[in-house]
Amino acid sequence: MIVKTLLAAIVAGLISGVFMTAAQELRVTPLILHAEEFEGEAPAAPNQPSGQQPAATDHQHSLNDASPFGTMLATLSPITPAYAHEHEGGHEEGGVMFGMSRFSGTLLANLVTGAGFSLLLAGVSLVIGYPITLQNGALWGAFGWLAVHLLPAIGLPPELPGFPAAELGDRQTWWAATVLLSAVGLYLVALRREVIAKISGLALIAAPHAYGAPQPLDISSNVPAVLGAEFAVAALATTLAFWLVLGVVSGFINERFVKPG
Amino acid sequence: MATSTVSSIPLSLSDRLTAGFVALMIGAFLVFGAGLANSAVLHDTAHDTRHAYGFPCH
Repeated sequence: MIVKTLLAAIVAGLISGVFMTAAQELRVTPLILHAEEFEGEAPAAPNQPSGQQPAATDHQHSLNDASPFGTMLATLSPITPAYAHEHEGGHEEGGVMFGMSRFSGTLLANLVTGAGFSLLLAGVSLVIGYPITLQNGALWGAFGWLAVHLLPAIGLPPELPGFPAAELGDRQTWWAATVLLSAVGLYLVALRREVIAKISGLALIAAPHAYGAPQPLDISSNVPAVLGAEFAVAALATTLAFWLVLGVVSGFINERFVKPG
Repeated sequence: MATSTVSSIPLSLSDRLTAGFVALMIGAFLVFGAGLANSAVLHDTAHDTRHAYGFPCH
């Protein structure tokens, strides 16, 4: 029964991941590709030696921030480090796993991410004891989107390639903490009756924003601002669709295949 | 028939919590691997996904 519950969540996630891949092709992926045309150019930063700053910031994620987990996963990968780091010469696609095309890599990543978010949603549902049904699935999805996307996006809006940003590790820590606090806060606000729970829920949701998201020191960028605005809205709209599909499909599978009818 | 009999029994509290925490752990692992891990291979494979989901990237 436990395995069946987990499998149901994984299947719902995979379906949503396929949906997400199709939805991304509409707006999000074209905008990413468009922004990458500007990414390689040196930004107009008068106080920096030309050519050095962009290389240092663009690739700090793979040079400096090798976390133990990342190193471990990289070790398990069949791709040698030399191949994986080819992209440091400027080609982002150089390290796609198993030599897959860029689209296959995105599809695989969407499947994994979809299954991951689906399991997280199911896990929360099981732990707090509120089942995801066909009827409330869209609400579950909407709350997932609030916690994972909209609330963190207040501090760290979805970025295009080539956008200025603070140090990666700081942003990831802030992002993960915000998702966690927002999820707990939303639970307290939406599902607890006590007034004190609702107030502390709001406080938890507000806390990471009062603390402040890590911001870049230099906000100059070659990527046009219009692209950034379009991308932020497109990314949030696409992820909202993803979460609604995930919630409804999870509810459907739960009712149809897991729970007694 | 046997399976439908079993599945009509709701999860017990301990089973529910076990399933919940297992789901949370596997889910967090998958999301971490696709969205946050600092491996160049994972980053490049999931690049467009990371941007589309608004994961901190670059």
